[in-house]
Amino acid sequence: MTRPAAVVVTVMLAAGTAPTAQEQAVAPEQAVRQEIAVAAELTVPLEPQDQQAGSRAGLIEQDQARKAASLTAAKPTKVEAYVTRVYDAFLGGQMHWHAFFQNAYSGGGFTIGAGYLLFVSPSNTLDIRGSITPSGYKRIEAEFIAPGLFGRRATFSAIGGWREATQVGFYGFGMTSTVDARANYSFQQPYGSATIEVRPTRKLFLVRGGLEFTQWKQGPGSGEEPSIETKYTPETLPGLGAQPVYLHTTATVGVDSRAAVGYARSGGLYAATFHDFADPDKTHGFQQVDYEAIQHIPLVREAWVVSLHGLLQTSYSKAGQQIPFFMMPSIGGGSDLRAYASWRLRDLNSLLLQAEWRVIANRFLDMAVFYDTGRVAPRLDALKLNDLKNDAGLGFRFHGPLTTPLRLELAKGSDGFGFVIAASHAF
Amino acid sequence: MRGRFVLIAALVLAPLVAPVSPAGPRFYNDDPIPREPETRDAAGAAPLGIDLFYEYAYNLFVTARRKPTNTRALNVNTIDEVPDSSWFTNRVGASPMSAQQIARGPNSDAKPAPEQWVILREKTSGTNPGFTVKDGNGQTWFLQFDPPEYPGASTADVQIATKVFWALGYNQVETFITTFDPRRVVIDPTATKRRLSGERTPFTRDDMQVVLERAARTNDGTYRASVGRLLEGKVLGNFRYAGTRPDDPNDLVPHEHRRELRALRVFGAWMNLVDLKAGNTLDELVAANGHSVIRHYLQDVGSSLGMANDYGVWDQGWEYFYDGPAMRKRLLSFGFDLSPWQTVPYVEYPSVGRFEGERFDPTTWKPQTPTTAYMNLDADDAFWAARRVAAFSDELIRAAVHEGQFSDPAAERHLAAVLMQRRDRIAQAYLPAINPVVDPKLSPDGTLVFENAAVAAGVAEAPTAYSTTWSWFDNATGATRPIGAAESATTSVAAPGWSRDGGQFVEIDIACASDAHPSWQQPVRAYFRRTSAGWKLVGLERPAAPLTASAPAKRGAEK
Repeated sequence: MTRPAAVVVTVMLAAGTAPTAQEQAVAPEQAVRQEIAVAAELTVPLEPQDQQAGSRAGLIEQDQARKAASLTAAKPTKVEAYVTRVYDAFLGGQMHWHAFFQNAYSGGGFTIGAGYLLFVSPSNTLDIRGSITPSGYKRIEAEFIAPGLFGRRATFSAIGGWREATQVGFYGFGMTSTVDARANYSFQQPYGSATIEVRPTRKLFLVRGGLEFTQWKQGPGSGEEPSIETKYTPETLPGLGAQPVYLHTTATVGVDSRAAVGYARSGGLYAATFHDFADPDKTHGFQQVDYEAIQHIPLVREAWVVSLHGLLQTSYSKAGQQIPFFMMPSIGGGSDLRAYASWRLRDLNSLLLQAEWRVIANRFLDMAVFYDTGRVAPRLDALKLNDLKNDAGLGFRFHGPLTTPLRLELAKGSDGFGFVIAASHAF
Repeated sequence: MRGRFVLIAALVLAPLVAPVSPAGPRFYNDDPIPREPETRDAAGAAPLGIDLFYEYAYNLFVTARRKPTNTRALNVNTIDEVPDSSWFTNRVGASPMSAQQIARGPNSDAKPAPEQWVILREKTSGTNPGFTVKDGNGQTWFLQFDPPEYPGASTADVQIATKVFWALGYNQVETFITTFDPRRVVIDPTATKRRLSGERTPFTRDDMQVVLERAARTNDGTYRASVGRLLEGKVLGNFRYAGTRPDDPNDLVPHEHRRELRALRVFGAWMNLVDLKAGNTLDELVAANGHSVIRHYLQDVGSSLGMANDYGVWDQGWEYFYDGPAMRKRLLSFGFDLSPWQTVPYVEYPSVGRFEGERFDPTTWKPQTPTTAYMNLDADDAFWAARRVAAFSDELIRAAVHEGQFSDPAAERHLAAVLMQRRDRIAQAYLPAINPVVDPKLSPDGTLVFENAAVAAGVAEAPTAYSTTWSWFDNATGATRPIGAAESATTSVAAPGWSRDGGQFVEIDIACASDAHPSWQQPVRAYFRRTSAGWKLVGLERPAAPLTASAPAKRGAEK
């Protein structure tokens, strides 16, 4: 279709003829309407005054004069103005209220919560937050974070709070435990801790130290499964009914080359953490060492990322003391053996191995095929790579450059299916 | 839907029912206008920015779903060219351009004085680290560094892209490559930085250090930097790629129908300018001809030449930030259906981003987010833009790339070669797509000469014949009187039965007979006015065609 030049000219002039406020609006959504109005002008002759202009420049000048007589202020649309306000509030530190989906203890189920974050200095924050689940898991705490200490080489955090878990599962020790053997226990825990994380070179090398003062008040469990004291006694289950107070010190050394803890497509973490749980009553004191390795390997320009995770936890009771059952290493739950219930396997030592084949769908969504395997054992030398519990599954992760706000996964293992909804990364 | 129907119906009917006679002459004495007049004072215009998230979301989920309106560009003059304006100045392709001219670009002689930089505040936009600074002469500049992974690349990219987009016709900020020595930096006592709390507190040495840790440092402890001069005038925020400014009396044409903004789809593809968002534009109120007008800038063209690829891996220019079909394809195939950019064999240099020409297809190129102007690119807009890209000779490209001040000559040669390859791809894609007859001239003796832009660019075989149909044209009524028809195997055609006093205007349809390009049979129509100096071209209509994706393999074979 050939479009005559006169039509072209008329279109140009019509577009600027006595524009109404609507025609002048800058919002993109009005562009189509504008075009229709312009096109409609094609079928009508020019205004008589246009004929008097005598030149193309004169016609345009007339249109500019018309518009000059009816100028309006340039304003964003209502939607844009609202988005801008929200955006500014986030960036300006004015968005104090936030969602908080971390429940009191793993296995609490769907969690709702909220927090109120305020800056106590240009960089330091205080976050007061709480969460609750339908099964009655509760958590309330306040956390102070001071990043950028020692020339941006250290971050200090202090946290104090209280939490309650009402129906934590215990299935027995070792690999022979079954789902049907589940008994529930509860605990309440006040806690206060301080942690400092130092990266001497600002990247890569990591040293972390922490001190926590806490009390675990273990008690009967609620829920459909029997309460734990109906199946065990303090003689058959170490720490049953105990309410130990701990001075818990930790020390971590490692190498962390990930871009961020909450989301990464490359880099890795290799770290060892030493825990000392000192019981002033010298009844339930113990020590634990965690060895953890994470590696993300991008393939074919991030068509895929192979992510590998290994975690070995080994605990030692102090002389003359015993480790309460609820403090022993455990695997099972939404971030490790994902088809298995939280705390499904317990013993003095645990080994977890995970592999994910991640498909990078776009900048905000990953899909992952994963395989988890692991076992627990009473002795470190019994942590062999046979008779492992394992699962496999498929998941989707909605993420930003540094965090994973939503993770949906379905896994199948020997206990059945497990469906995970989480507000954090898997590893 | 109904609105779309009205639009289409109006466009179809327009040529049939829009006589020129009631409205006045088809061509005025000043046609074709070389410059859009800006006659009214825009001093009352107020600043208006655009929110980043809003723009991204709107463009990805609303604009991207829009179909092209098939509305012809509305700011072209009667010979189908974009006149000069506060948006655009005809440069390359409009008149000869020398290597010296493109090397100078928008710059004046007043270079930055890097002896001492005074930091005024942090850089608040863009991904590259930087500051707002004053130089030793008290001039204010926006300074940015190279990322450590690509030493020399970002600063070169800004330089080259600025020169190229200036040559293409856009208003550009003066930019220079300079040196930043942190040992000789002063922090202005009033300098502040916005903290996470939103509070602004005094800018510190450590704040500077934070920025420098993200920058490529040279062996002598200094940093190579790119600086852009602070524009004179009042900043009015960003221009939008749709609608008009309601507070600018001179802004009459909806921006999505400005050809030079639509053409950024072609120019952006050439340079891989992926960050086409309105947030990278700038409206500036300046004095001109005794009153205030708004001048429109492409403010940040540094996301070009592969330097915007995020995470150092994902190659932009192939997909929008959110691209449903590409995402679904990856998900359903578990990633095994690789996207094109995942298999491109890049030649990599530290000072050059991932940028290639072998797999480049301008018709499928995509920026981070589409704009309304991008969506409205028509085949004739693309043709117009491709001619400008094709007007860049190898020498001009080498001169622009040389301004990147590469330390590695091989990197410089590679980048220039890729730009040439992408230029040729653009010419292949768009010049043969519609009737490519250009620059018709009619001599006093009635000999019509013209060019075939596709043939001249070497991307198409010459047609077997050019057929012309001549008529006298009544400028007042639009009526025509046939003169006759003539054919030629060349781009020179003698008038049939020419009568010197037949009229003041002559209308000539020029069609091309080419089996390879059936669309060339749609004639280009040229209008000439008799003047004392001879026949002057006053009108040119190029047949329109919807923009379609090309078949690169076929194009390559043709070449």
